[in-house]
Amino acid sequence: MRNNKFNLIHFLNRESIAGLVFSLPFIIGFFMFLLVPMGISLYYSFCDYNILSPPVFAGLKNYIKMFQDETFYKTIGVTLYFALVSVPLRLVFALIVALILFKTTKATGLYRAAYYLPSIIGGSVAVSILWKRMFAIDGVINKLLGAMGLPSEFSWLGDTRTAIWTLIILAVWQFGSSMLIFLSSLKQIPSTLYEASTVDGAGKVKQFFHITLPLLTPTIFFNLVMQMINGFLAFTQCYIITQGKPMNSTLFYTVYMYQQSFEYSNTGYGAALAWVMLGIVGLMTLLIFGTKKFWVYEGGV
Amino acid sequence: MGKRIISLSLAVFLTVMLLAGCANKGTSTTSDTGAGSKTETKTETKTEVTSSADQTNAADNAGLTVSWWGNQTRNERTQQVLDLYTQNNPGVTFDGQFAEWADYWNKLSTASAGHTLPDVVQMDYKYLEQYVSNNLLVDLIPYIDNGTLDVTGIDENILNSGKVNGGLYAIPIGVNAPALMYNKTLLDQNGITVKDNLSLDEFMALCKEIYEKTGYKTGAAYGDGDIFIEYTMRSLGSILYEKGKLGATQEQLQKFFEVYEKGISEGWMCDPSIYTERTIGTPEQMPLVYGSSPATMSWCAFSYSNALASLQNAAPEGTEIAMTTWPADDQKAANYLKPGMFFSVTVDSKNPEAAAKFISYWTNDVDANKILKGERGVPASAKVAEAIKDQMDQNQLKAVAYINNVVTPTSSVINPPAPEGSAEVSKLVDQLVEMVCYKQITAEDAAAQLFQKGNEMLAD
Repeated sequence: MRNNKFNLIHFLNRESIAGLVFSLPFIIGFFMFLLVPMGISLYYSFCDYNILSPPVFAGLKNYIKMFQDETFYKTIGVTLYFALVSVPLRLVFALIVALILFKTTKATGLYRAAYYLPSIIGGSVAVSILWKRMFAIDGVINKLLGAMGLPSEFSWLGDTRTAIWTLIILAVWQFGSSMLIFLSSLKQIPSTLYEASTVDGAGKVKQFFHITLPLLTPTIFFNLVMQMINGFLAFTQCYIITQGKPMNSTLFYTVYMYQQSFEYSNTGYGAALAWVMLGIVGLMTLLIFGTKKFWVYEGGV
Repeated sequence: MGKRIISLSLAVFLTVMLLAGCANKGTSTTSDTGAGSKTETKTETKTEVTSSADQTNAADNAGLTVSWWGNQTRNERTQQVLDLYTQNNPGVTFDGQFAEWADYWNKLSTASAGHTLPDVVQMDYKYLEQYVSNNLLVDLIPYIDNGTLDVTGIDENILNSGKVNGGLYAIPIGVNAPALMYNKTLLDQNGITVKDNLSLDEFMALCKEIYEKTGYKTGAAYGDGDIFIEYTMRSLGSILYEKGKLGATQEQLQKFFEVYEKGISEGWMCDPSIYTERTIGTPEQMPLVYGSSPATMSWCAFSYSNALASLQNAAPEGTEIAMTTWPADDQKAANYLKPGMFFSVTVDSKNPEAAAKFISYWTNDVDANKILKGERGVPASAKVAEAIKDQMDQNQLKAVAYINNVVTPTSSVINPPAPEGSAEVSKLVDQLVEMVCYKQITAEDAAAQLFQKGNEMLAD
């Protein structure tokens, strides 16, 4: 009896147990809200499931159906286009603004906050609705063009060539988080490098390409991976602004998934789409990691 | 050392309490023995309705969730009636939830998966069959038998539209008919009159004439799914959805797409780009009442007779909206009376008795219907319809006159409820109409695609 009690105290005193106890809230959340739903979704992806009635196992049917689904290929194309255009643009934009804001003046703090603002409110429904109104036929963009004497009856959201670009511009506008990361790593570049190069006679442009950019590559890499994943999973903009119109030219993969799951009641198929998306995102991330050794500088300063 | 043990055991204790707290939520209701015991009433009413004092008690004390789709006018009036009911029955409180048409059904299907459907849901004829076949609605006949739900005022034929396989799963709360709403002020100014029961060719000629005289275009049913194609198929003697397949031939389907093809090539059809900026199905955003210039507006809208009030409210000051029939070559075969909306009680309701009682109130109470003013359609109960006649506004009287004088003489029985898979076909129709309007495909291609893919979707 005494021995048992001693064991319990001993047991509770072990560091690994204490760690486990303290991380229990997270572990429970992880299982309940991530792992279990994921498992269920995997199961649904092999089922005929219409939400209203219980799922019926159907094997690989949903995955086979995908290969014959034209819209599936179309949405992959649209999503790739969106991610591959908007992410590099956003990073370039973030870097330029970070370089401008790098020089500390009195107003820098204000500007940093101001430029970060779109990222805070960026994913929200309100901004999406605002965007939709701006690009409407009688919206502010056309009004501005009209004030400049240009043709102003163009339907930005109604034309297959321009509709996707309204979404891309919105994504580029939300460059704040990348910008902040760039700013902090810019600060870590030792000023001695710049001083030395000035002595050697290097100009600003040369300094940028030979000092700043190489030393920023790890940060660029990090931003690229994170933003690429975000780009593939973008949902709100498309769902609120275009709903995939016109003619599915702006239909993001995630929105198609939602439509299949909840609008057409093909929830099993929607779950299968989600798992294929996971594969695609994983593949793209691997691909970016594969190129790492060719352009990312990892040596010391 | 001692401190460490104390803090550790404290942490363990707290975690255990936390877990116990979580688990408790699930079980606490069973230990509850009062009249409001939730789990108890649920299992009880699912199997059969017992008529006892307890039940009446439960019906008087309940929190009911009522959900509907609609517009601003409907939301306001419905909320007023819910408040009135709470005033008369202080034990009953409501949580009113509303959404727009498309979001509403997404929300409802998700809720059904989580077994959290609202107690009372506004049901549409289109979805009734699906919800009943998946056992999501409560058969209301026992509540009629025990006197909770009074449907004596409702015409037998109309009441029957809520029946599926012998059970009554939905109580009609308004009668409607398809109606072509048009800008009467505009047409009067230009000396154009619209007669009822236009044929498709006459309609298209009229659209062209209006476009040439006024610059206003025509917003035919667009993004509304299958409503107009179903109507057109009816006029050609076919039912769009049959069990497991499309009931129309490819040639018949083509006739529908040709309206859009012709409209776009002659210029009188609204440019499809205007719809990309709007929420389709919202009266306030229909091109009939909303737009920056005649080129982005329409002289008409394909809608239902009960939408007159909200369209008239949304229209600019001084514009009178009038209604006529949708165009069809054989109006008698095409037109129909639609038991527009229903109220149903769901299986997730913890207090179906109270829900049924509320529906009964909605159907029979004159004061409530004086507030509603037939916004969901002519009240299903003839007594109520008669009683609120004096209260009706201009719009409502017009709708009643339209249903009685125009639709009733030339119409036939409504199609059977649409089968599963029809939602996807309906979306396909939207996409094909869009492609025809963007001149990506011809009406012939569109019909061929709809015939092939639509049949596949329904066969699954």
